[in-house]
Amino acid sequence: MRAPAWIIPVLVVVCTAAGIGGSRLLVAPSLVHTFADAAPTADARTAQMVVEGVKCVDTAERAVAQLNELDGVLKCVAYAARARLDVTYDPARTSAPAIREALEAPVLVPATGEYLFGLYQVVELDGEKIADVDD
Amino acid sequence: MKRLRLIFQLSIVAAAAFAGVRYALGKSLVSVETYCPFGGLETAWSFFTRRRFSCAAGETNLALFIALIVLTILARKAFCGWVCPAGALFEWEAKLARRVFKRRDFSGVWPVPAKVDRALKIGLRIAVLGLVLVATWKTGELVFRGYDPYYIVFSAHGHDVKAWSYLVLAALLGLGLVMPMAWCKYLCPLGAALWPASIAGRLRLARNEHHCTGCGACDKNCPQDLPVSRVKELTSGECTLCLECTAACPTPQALELRWSAVPRPKGKR
Repeated sequence: MRAPAWIIPVLVVVCTAAGIGGSRLLVAPSLVHTFADAAPTADARTAQMVVEGVKCVDTAERAVAQLNELDGVLKCVAYAARARLDVTYDPARTSAPAIREALEAPVLVPATGEYLFGLYQVVELDGEKIADVDD
Repeated sequence: MKRLRLIFQLSIVAAAAFAGVRYALGKSLVSVETYCPFGGLETAWSFFTRRRFSCAAGETNLALFIALIVLTILARKAFCGWVCPAGALFEWEAKLARRVFKRRDFSGVWPVPAKVDRALKIGLRIAVLGLVLVATWKTGELVFRGYDPYYIVFSAHGHDVKAWSYLVLAALLGLGLVMPMAWCKYLCPLGAALWPASIAGRLRLARNEHHCTGCGACDKNCPQDLPVSRVKELTSGECTLCLECTAACPTPQALELRWSAVPRPKGKR
Protein backbone atom coordinates (compact mmCIF):
# COMPACT_ATOMS: atom_id res chain seq x y z
CA MET A 1 0.00 0.00 0.00
CA ARG A 2 1.33 3.42 -0.96
CA ALA A 3 2.22 5.73 1.92
CA PRO A 4 2.55 9.52 1.87
CA ALA A 5 5.99 10.94 2.70
CA TRP A 6 4.59 13.05 5.54
CA ILE A 7 3.94 9.87 7.50
CA ILE A 8 7.66 9.74 8.41
CA PRO A 9 7.85 13.02 10.38
CA VAL A 10 4.44 12.27 11.90
CA LEU A 11 5.65 8.87 13.16
CA VAL A 12 8.89 10.42 14.43
CA VAL A 13 7.01 13.10 16.40
CA VAL A 14 4.35 10.71 17.74
CA CYS A 15 6.89 8.09 18.89
CA THR A 16 9.16 10.70 20.49
CA ALA A 17 6.22 12.29 22.31
CA ALA A 18 5.00 8.83 23.40
CA GLY A 19 8.49 8.03 24.68
CA ILE A 20 8.79 11.20 26.73
CA GLY A 21 5.18 10.92 27.98
CA GLY A 22 5.52 7.21 28.69
CA SER A 23 8.56 7.72 30.88
CA ARG A 24 6.20 8.27 33.82
CA LEU A 25 5.32 4.57 33.67
CA LEU A 26 8.92 3.46 34.15
CA VAL A 27 9.93 5.38 37.25
CA ALA A 28 12.58 3.57 39.28
CA PRO A 29 15.29 4.81 41.64
CA SER A 30 19.01 4.90 40.99
CA LEU A 31 19.77 4.18 44.64
CA VAL A 32 17.84 3.17 47.78
CA HIS A 33 19.61 3.47 51.11
CA THR A 34 18.09 2.55 54.47
CA PHE A 35 20.10 3.91 57.39
CA ALA A 36 21.42 1.31 59.80
CA ASP A 37 19.98 2.73 63.02
CA ALA A 38 16.67 3.73 61.46
CA ALA A 39 13.99 2.85 63.96
CA PRO A 40 10.57 2.69 62.32
CA THR A 41 8.21 5.49 63.26
CA ALA A 42 4.57 6.10 62.41
CA ASP A 43 5.13 9.84 61.98
CA ALA A 44 7.89 9.57 59.36
CA ARG A 45 7.92 12.31 56.73
CA THR A 46 9.53 12.41 53.32
CA ALA A 47 11.22 15.52 51.98
CA GLN A 48 11.55 15.65 48.20
CA MET A 49 14.69 17.54 47.26
CA VAL A 50 16.19 18.50 43.94
CA VAL A 51 19.91 18.58 44.61
CA GLU A 52 22.42 20.14 42.26
CA GLY A 53 25.41 17.80 42.25
CA VAL A 54 23.42 14.56 42.22
CA LYS A 55 24.21 13.41 38.68
CA CYS A 56 24.69 9.66 38.88
CA VAL A 57 24.69 6.74 41.32
CA ASP A 58 28.18 7.65 42.62
CA THR A 59 27.31 11.26 43.38
CA ALA A 60 24.02 10.13 44.92
CA GLU A 61 25.91 7.68 47.19
CA ARG A 62 28.22 10.46 48.29
CA ALA A 63 25.23 12.71 49.02
CA VAL A 64 23.60 9.94 51.05
CA ALA A 65 26.86 9.54 53.02
CA GLN A 66 26.48 13.20 54.05
CA LEU A 67 23.39 12.17 56.02
CA ASN A 68 25.08 9.32 57.91
CA GLU A 69 25.88 11.47 60.93
CA LEU A 70 22.45 13.07 61.09
CA ASP A 71 20.18 11.51 63.69
CA GLY A 72 16.62 10.80 62.57
CA VAL A 73 17.19 10.15 58.87
CA LEU A 74 15.56 6.82 58.03
CA LYS A 75 15.81 6.28 54.30
CA CYS A 76 17.06 7.98 51.15
CA VAL A 77 15.90 7.23 47.62
CA ALA A 78 17.83 8.85 44.76
CA TYR A 79 16.65 9.49 41.21
CA ALA A 80 19.91 10.57 39.56
CA ALA A 81 18.48 11.45 36.14
CA ARG A 82 16.24 14.04 37.82
CA ALA A 83 18.79 15.08 40.48
CA ARG A 84 16.16 14.17 43.07
CA LEU A 85 16.54 12.79 46.58
CA ASP A 86 13.54 11.62 48.61
CA VAL A 87 14.67 11.65 52.22
CA THR A 88 12.45 9.98 54.82
CA TYR A 89 13.03 11.21 58.35
CA ASP A 90 11.60 11.23 61.86
CA PRO A 91 10.28 14.78 62.45
CA ALA A 92 10.75 14.36 66.21
CA ARG A 93 14.52 14.00 65.74
CA THR A 94 15.37 16.09 62.67
CA SER A 95 13.88 18.41 60.06
CA ALA A 96 14.04 19.19 56.36
CA PRO A 97 16.25 22.31 56.90
CA ALA A 98 18.68 20.21 58.99
CA ILE A 99 18.84 17.61 56.19
CA ARG A 100 19.47 20.38 53.67
CA GLU A 101 22.25 21.77 55.85
CA ALA A 102 23.87 18.33 56.15
CA LEU A 103 23.70 17.80 52.39
CA GLU A 104 25.26 21.17 51.65
CA ALA A 105 28.06 20.77 54.19
CA PRO A 106 31.64 20.36 52.89
CA VAL A 107 32.33 16.85 51.67
CA LEU A 108 35.34 15.01 53.08
CA VAL A 109 37.40 13.06 50.54
CA PRO A 110 38.78 10.16 52.62
CA ALA A 111 41.65 9.44 50.23
CA THR A 112 43.17 12.92 50.48
CA GLY A 113 41.65 14.24 53.70
CA GLU A 114 40.51 17.32 51.76
CA TYR A 115 37.14 18.97 52.04
CA LEU A 116 35.18 19.88 48.93
CA PHE A 117 32.91 22.88 49.30
CA GLY A 118 29.67 23.51 47.45
CA LEU A 119 29.48 20.01 45.99
CA TYR A 120 25.76 19.74 46.70
CA GLN A 121 23.16 22.44 46.71
CA VAL A 122 19.48 21.87 47.41
CA VAL A 123 17.63 23.93 44.81
CA GLU A 124 14.11 22.66 45.38
CA LEU A 125 12.37 21.36 48.47
CA ASP A 126 8.95 19.69 48.33
CA GLY A 127 8.19 21.28 44.97
CA GLU A 128 9.21 24.80 45.96
CA LYS A 129 12.33 26.57 44.71
CA ILE A 130 14.72 27.01 47.58
CA ALA A 131 14.64 30.83 47.34
CA ASP A 132 10.90 30.65 47.96
CA VAL A 133 11.45 28.33 50.92
CA ASP A 134 13.99 30.74 52.42
CA ASP A 135 11.56 33.65 52.04
CA MET B 1 10.25 16.92 2.47
CA LYS B 2 14.01 17.42 2.13
CA ARG B 3 13.65 20.88 3.66
CA LEU B 4 11.42 19.60 6.45
CA ARG B 5 14.01 16.96 7.35
CA LEU B 6 16.73 19.61 7.43
CA ILE B 7 14.54 21.71 9.75
CA PHE B 8 14.09 18.66 12.01
CA GLN B 9 17.84 18.02 12.09
CA LEU B 10 18.81 21.67 12.64
CA SER B 11 16.22 22.08 15.42
CA ILE B 12 17.39 18.97 17.24
CA VAL B 13 21.09 19.82 16.88
CA ALA B 14 20.38 23.35 18.17
CA ALA B 15 18.25 22.03 21.07
CA ALA B 16 20.94 19.50 22.07
CA ALA B 17 23.69 22.14 21.92
CA PHE B 18 21.55 24.58 23.93
CA ALA B 19 20.76 21.93 26.56
CA GLY B 20 24.43 20.94 26.80
CA VAL B 21 25.65 24.50 27.30
CA ARG B 22 22.90 25.28 29.85
CA TYR B 23 23.83 22.17 31.85
CA ALA B 24 27.54 22.96 31.67
CA LEU B 25 26.89 26.50 32.91
CA GLY B 26 24.80 25.19 35.80
CA LYS B 27 21.61 26.80 34.48
CA SER B 28 19.82 23.47 34.18
CA LEU B 29 19.91 20.08 35.87
CA VAL B 30 18.89 18.25 32.69
CA SER B 31 21.89 16.97 30.74
CA VAL B 32 21.95 15.94 27.08
CA GLU B 33 22.16 12.34 28.28
CA THR B 34 18.58 12.50 29.53
CA TYR B 35 17.22 12.29 25.98
CA CYS B 36 19.61 9.68 24.58
CA PRO B 37 17.72 6.45 23.82
CA PHE B 38 20.96 4.47 23.88
CA GLY B 39 21.17 5.22 27.61
CA GLY B 40 17.86 3.34 27.86
CA LEU B 41 19.40 0.24 26.34
CA GLU B 42 22.48 0.55 28.57
CA THR B 43 20.33 0.65 31.68
CA ALA B 44 17.68 -1.87 30.53
CA TRP B 45 19.39 -4.85 32.17
CA SER B 46 19.70 -3.06 35.49
CA PHE B 47 16.09 -1.86 35.30
CA PHE B 48 14.53 -5.21 34.46
CA THR B 49 16.66 -7.28 36.86
CA ARG B 50 17.09 -4.94 39.85
CA ARG B 51 14.52 -2.19 39.30
CA ARG B 52 17.35 0.33 39.41
CA PHE B 53 18.80 2.66 36.83
CA SER B 54 22.53 2.64 36.05
CA CYS B 55 24.66 5.68 36.64
CA ALA B 56 22.95 8.82 35.26
CA ALA B 57 20.38 7.00 33.12
CA GLY B 58 16.71 7.30 33.95
CA GLU B 59 13.17 6.54 32.90
CA THR B 60 13.24 9.00 29.96
CA ASN B 61 16.15 7.12 28.38
CA LEU B 62 14.40 3.78 28.73
CA ALA B 63 11.00 5.04 27.53
CA LEU B 64 12.63 6.72 24.53
CA PHE B 65 14.47 3.52 23.67
CA ILE B 66 11.22 1.50 23.77
CA ALA B 67 9.50 4.19 21.64
CA LEU B 68 12.46 4.06 19.27
CA ILE B 69 12.03 0.31 18.78
CA VAL B 70 8.36 0.91 17.91
CA LEU B 71 9.35 3.71 15.51
CA THR B 72 11.96 1.45 13.88
CA ILE B 73 9.46 -1.38 13.39
CA LEU B 74 7.18 1.12 11.66
CA ALA B 75 9.58 3.48 9.91
CA ARG B 76 12.94 1.72 9.96
CA LYS B 77 15.92 3.90 10.91
CA ALA B 78 13.98 7.14 10.54
CA PHE B 79 15.45 8.10 13.91
CA CYS B 80 18.97 8.10 12.41
CA GLY B 81 17.97 10.22 9.43
CA TRP B 82 15.54 12.59 11.10
CA VAL B 83 16.40 12.85 14.80
CA CYS B 84 19.91 11.72 15.79
CA PRO B 85 22.10 14.83 16.17
CA ALA B 86 25.31 12.81 15.70
CA GLY B 87 23.81 11.27 12.55
CA ALA B 88 23.00 14.77 11.29
CA LEU B 89 26.57 15.98 11.87
CA PHE B 90 28.11 13.00 10.09
CA GLU B 91 25.65 13.35 7.22
CA TRP B 92 26.47 17.04 6.81
CA GLU B 93 30.16 16.20 6.90
CA ALA B 94 29.64 13.55 4.20
CA LYS B 95 27.73 16.02 2.02
CA LEU B 96 30.40 18.69 2.50
CA ALA B 97 33.19 16.24 1.66
CA ARG B 98 31.30 15.12 -1.42
CA ARG B 99 31.02 18.71 -2.61
CA VAL B 100 34.59 19.74 -1.73
CA PHE B 101 36.21 16.66 -3.24
CA LYS B 102 33.76 16.68 -6.17
CA ARG B 103 32.67 13.08 -5.68
CA ARG B 104 29.84 11.51 -7.64
CA ASP B 105 28.39 9.59 -4.72
CA PHE B 106 28.83 8.70 -1.04
CA SER B 107 31.07 5.66 -1.56
CA GLY B 108 34.15 7.59 -0.37
CA VAL B 109 37.82 7.43 -1.29
CA TRP B 110 38.04 3.68 -0.91
CA PRO B 111 34.71 2.12 -1.84
CA VAL B 112 34.20 -0.84 0.47
CA PRO B 113 33.40 -4.13 -1.33
CA ALA B 114 29.84 -5.28 -0.66
CA LYS B 115 30.85 -8.37 1.33
CA VAL B 116 33.28 -6.43 3.56
CA ASP B 117 30.70 -3.69 3.96
CA ARG B 118 28.11 -6.20 5.17
CA ALA B 119 30.60 -7.94 7.48
CA LEU B 120 31.60 -4.61 9.05
CA LYS B 121 28.00 -3.41 9.39
CA ILE B 122 26.99 -6.57 11.19
CA GLY B 123 30.15 -7.84 12.88
CA LEU B 124 31.95 -4.68 13.94
CA ARG B 125 28.88 -2.83 15.11
CA ILE B 126 27.57 -5.80 17.08
CA ALA B 127 31.01 -6.22 18.66
CA VAL B 128 30.98 -2.54 19.71
CA LEU B 129 27.43 -2.91 21.03
CA GLY B 130 28.29 -6.06 22.99
CA LEU B 131 31.41 -4.49 24.46
CA VAL B 132 29.55 -1.35 25.57
CA LEU B 133 26.63 -3.26 27.09
CA VAL B 134 28.78 -5.79 28.96
CA ALA B 135 31.05 -3.03 30.30
CA THR B 136 28.03 -0.99 31.42
CA TRP B 137 26.32 -3.93 33.08
CA LYS B 138 29.53 -5.02 34.83
CA THR B 139 30.55 -1.60 36.11
CA GLY B 140 27.19 0.15 36.49
CA GLU B 141 28.81 3.15 34.76
CA LEU B 142 27.93 4.62 31.38
CA VAL B 143 31.41 3.79 30.08
CA PHE B 144 30.55 4.71 26.49
CA ARG B 145 30.28 8.44 27.24
CA GLY B 146 33.91 9.25 26.55
CA TYR B 147 33.72 7.65 23.08
CA ASP B 148 30.21 8.71 22.08
CA PRO B 149 30.36 11.50 19.46
CA TYR B 150 26.90 12.72 20.52
CA TYR B 151 28.01 13.12 24.11
CA ILE B 152 31.45 14.53 23.27
CA VAL B 153 29.98 17.19 20.96
CA PHE B 154 26.83 18.17 22.83
CA SER B 155 27.71 17.77 26.51
CA ALA B 156 29.98 20.85 26.38
CA HIS B 157 32.92 19.00 27.93
CA GLY B 158 30.68 16.92 30.17
CA HIS B 159 31.60 14.35 32.80
CA ASP B 160 33.91 11.59 31.44
CA VAL B 161 34.91 13.64 28.40
CA LYS B 162 38.70 13.66 28.49
CA ALA B 163 41.38 14.95 26.12
CA TRP B 164 41.46 11.59 24.34
CA SER B 165 37.69 11.85 23.75
CA TYR B 166 38.38 14.76 21.41
CA LEU B 167 41.03 12.66 19.66
CA VAL B 168 38.40 9.94 19.20
CA LEU B 169 36.01 12.54 17.78
CA ALA B 170 38.70 13.94 15.47
CA ALA B 171 39.53 10.41 14.28
CA LEU B 172 35.85 9.70 13.57
CA LEU B 173 35.48 12.96 11.65
CA GLY B 174 38.68 12.20 9.74
CA LEU B 175 37.41 8.74 8.92
CA GLY B 176 34.12 10.27 7.79
CA LEU B 177 35.96 12.31 5.16
CA VAL B 178 37.38 9.26 3.41
CA MET B 179 34.61 6.82 4.33
CA PRO B 180 31.36 8.82 4.51
CA MET B 181 29.12 8.10 7.51
CA ALA B 182 31.67 5.56 8.81
CA TRP B 183 30.51 6.03 12.42
CA CYS B 184 26.85 5.41 11.57
CA LYS B 185 27.52 2.53 9.19
CA TYR B 186 30.24 0.59 11.00
CA LEU B 187 30.53 1.65 14.64
CA CYS B 188 27.33 3.08 16.11
CA PRO B 189 26.07 0.62 18.76
CA LEU B 190 22.57 2.07 18.67
CA GLY B 191 22.51 1.38 14.93
CA ALA B 192 23.43 -2.24 15.68
CA ALA B 193 20.69 -2.52 18.30
CA LEU B 194 18.09 -1.14 15.89
CA TRP B 195 19.20 -3.23 12.94
CA PRO B 196 16.92 -6.29 13.50
CA ALA B 197 13.87 -4.06 14.03
CA SER B 198 14.84 -2.01 10.98
CA ILE B 199 14.96 -5.08 8.75
CA ALA B 200 11.42 -5.88 9.87
CA GLY B 201 10.41 -2.23 9.35
CA ARG B 202 7.14 -1.84 7.48
CA LEU B 203 7.64 1.46 5.70
CA ARG B 204 9.82 0.84 2.67
CA LEU B 205 10.95 2.50 -0.50
CA ALA B 206 9.86 0.65 -3.60
CA ARG B 207 11.12 1.17 -7.14
CA ASN B 208 8.60 1.09 -9.93
CA GLU B 209 10.38 -0.61 -12.80
CA HIS B 210 7.96 0.78 -15.38
CA HIS B 211 8.86 4.36 -14.50
CA CYS B 212 12.53 3.94 -13.53
CA THR B 213 14.98 5.01 -16.23
CA GLY B 214 17.96 3.44 -14.44
CA CYS B 215 19.83 6.75 -14.30
CA GLY B 216 21.23 5.87 -10.85
CA ALA B 217 20.58 9.32 -9.33
CA CYS B 218 19.10 7.59 -6.28
CA ASP B 219 22.27 5.56 -5.67
CA LYS B 220 24.49 8.61 -6.01
CA ASN B 221 22.47 10.62 -3.50
CA CYS B 222 21.94 7.99 -0.82
CA PRO B 223 24.08 9.04 2.20
CA GLN B 224 24.15 5.38 3.28
CA ASP B 225 25.41 4.40 -0.18
CA LEU B 226 22.62 1.85 -0.68
CA PRO B 227 21.97 0.32 -4.12
CA VAL B 228 18.47 1.78 -4.51
CA SER B 229 18.36 1.44 -8.32
CA ARG B 230 19.29 -2.24 -8.21
CA VAL B 231 16.46 -3.52 -6.03
CA LYS B 232 12.72 -3.66 -6.40
CA GLU B 233 12.09 -2.92 -2.75
CA LEU B 234 14.69 -1.47 -0.39
CA THR B 235 14.84 -4.04 2.41
CA SER B 236 18.24 -3.03 3.80
CA GLY B 237 18.24 -2.43 7.54
CA GLU B 238 20.34 0.69 6.92
CA CYS B 239 17.72 2.79 5.12
CA THR B 240 17.02 5.90 7.22
CA LEU B 241 14.07 7.03 5.09
CA CYS B 242 15.87 10.32 4.52
CA LEU B 243 14.19 10.49 1.09
CA GLU B 244 17.31 11.93 -0.57
CA CYS B 245 16.79 9.32 -3.30
CA THR B 246 13.21 10.35 -4.05
CA ALA B 247 14.25 14.02 -4.09
CA ALA B 248 17.04 13.25 -6.59
CA CYS B 249 14.92 11.00 -8.80
CA PRO B 250 14.06 12.80 -12.08
CA THR B 251 11.05 10.59 -12.79
CA PRO B 252 7.95 11.03 -10.68
CA GLN B 253 6.54 7.76 -9.32
CA ALA B 254 9.72 5.81 -10.03
CA LEU B 255 10.37 5.65 -6.30
CA GLU B 256 7.57 5.56 -3.83
CA LEU B 257 7.04 4.91 -0.18
CA ARG B 258 4.99 1.82 0.65
CA TRP B 259 3.64 0.04 3.70
CA SER B 260 4.99 -3.43 3.31
CA ALA B 261 2.55 -6.19 4.23
CA VAL B 262 3.39 -8.24 7.32
CA PRO B 263 4.49 -11.67 6.03
CA ARG B 264 2.03 -14.42 7.00
CA PRO B 265 3.24 -17.73 8.38
CA LYS B 266 3.34 -20.47 5.74
CA GLY B 267 0.25 -22.70 5.56
CA LYS B 268 -2.09 -19.96 6.83
CA ARG B 269 -4.33 -17.83 4.70
